[in-house]
Amino acid sequence: MTAPITPPLVRMQSLHKSYGPAIQVLKGLDIEMQPGERLVVIGPSGGGKSTLLRVMMGLEKIDRGSIMFGGKPYISSDGLDKKTKIDTEVRRSIGMVFQHYTLFPHLNVVENLILAPCKVRKERKSDATERAVGLLTRFGLAGKAKAYPSQLSGGQKQRVAIARALMLDPKLMLFDEVTSALDPELVAEVEQVILQLAAQKMPMMIVTHDMWFAKNIASRVIFCAGGVVVEDGPPEQVLGSPKEERTRDFIDRVFHIRQ
Amino acid sequence: MALDFSIILRFQDALLLGLWMTLKLTLICVILGCTFGFLVGLARTSRSLALRAISSVYVEFFRGTPVLIQLFWIFFCLPMILGIELSNLASGVIALTLYMGAITSETFRASLKSVGPEQLDACIALGLPRRNQVTNVILPQAVLRAIPTLLSNCVSLFKESALVSAVGMADLMFVGQNISNNTARPVEVLTIVALIYFVIAFPLTRAVSLIERRILAKLAI
Repeated sequence: MTAPITPPLVRMQSLHKSYGPAIQVLKGLDIEMQPGERLVVIGPSGGGKSTLLRVMMGLEKIDRGSIMFGGKPYISSDGLDKKTKIDTEVRRSIGMVFQHYTLFPHLNVVENLILAPCKVRKERKSDATERAVGLLTRFGLAGKAKAYPSQLSGGQKQRVAIARALMLDPKLMLFDEVTSALDPELVAEVEQVILQLAAQKMPMMIVTHDMWFAKNIASRVIFCAGGVVVEDGPPEQVLGSPKEERTRDFIDRVFHIRQ
Repeated sequence: MALDFSIILRFQDALLLGLWMTLKLTLICVILGCTFGFLVGLARTSRSLALRAISSVYVEFFRGTPVLIQLFWIFFCLPMILGIELSNLASGVIALTLYMGAITSETFRASLKSVGPEQLDACIALGLPRRNQVTNVILPQAVLRAIPTLLSNCVSLFKESALVSAVGMADLMFVGQNISNNTARPVEVLTIVALIYFVIAFPLTRAVSLIERRILAKLAI
């Protein structure tokens, strides 16, 4: 591999995170992500995958370590005081979609989409609404602009959630098990939208249990277990013929192959 | 002795005046009590230990003692402590507001808690400033969820307000008791008074379940 000329999009250094003294979730993670990469993180529950995304979004504090985005440090903790320093301006260039949609139930679809642009970027309501309708049309949700979240299917809710995150023009998207709560027949419509974003070169980091999806979307796969990176490589390697014993065990179990 | 409900007609005006007083008192205490209760509800979820402690003591005390005793206490003891004479209306308003504040603060506290932490996650992920997290996301949901219970609280207050007759306020109950004493027809008079309370409270309780269904349907994610 040749050294990249541009700085990495994301550089995590020595991330440590624990819930009390007994439970260490992240044990010194070092991950670099290049611009244009689509990084899929797989691994057993409790292995720190979701925590990793939540830390990147500033939703969880860290005990020690730092994260840089586009060459700028935006999250850091030196481990001395219990404070995690977060640069909210930098963080705003990252969007996140959650497993359980987290739409605002008291607002309709368009209002969900334009709340942040109007309040954070002071965008005019009419401009934001126009962009929102455009995004919804692109995602096959044109007829749902005035609907409330409770009137939507899981797949529709998740597509709205993705559109809501995109309204802020993120430079990186984080997807945290976005299809795990969906009925099987609704998974495809959400994955299609994410594949559509991938085709437009949106950098993304995806935590998923769906190996078919991982294979289709990843430009690189990381296997995370016990709070460390066990294996890191192209999807053909990590999903197809993993080098590490633990990765192999995990892949076998998810694909229900038992010899 | 045969029951004779027609005597009520002779006291129509007095009963209407009493009802007016009851409604006025209820309305004032609903507005003051809900506002106070909302602030106390916030205090009970606040990070300051002192605020939490003071508000908890207040709420538990007023929820755990009879309203009638609270009323007597404010009517007789408060003037002694403050050294000023309180009118019937003033002490009635203070007592019922404090009572309403205590029960609605619980309603607001529960509804604030019912807005899940994932809503805050979404706010942070969207970069919403703290002010907008509260005013655009948390509060609207909390208030919507609180409405059905608040209406029930209002119905309770409307009925409990009959207690102010014990300190001589000329509300519906007081007028009813007077008429029944003077006519020696307690069964007819008090039945009619109860009916008047019921005719007002019943549609409200029906409205509660109707609104509850609509709000819950809307807020269900």
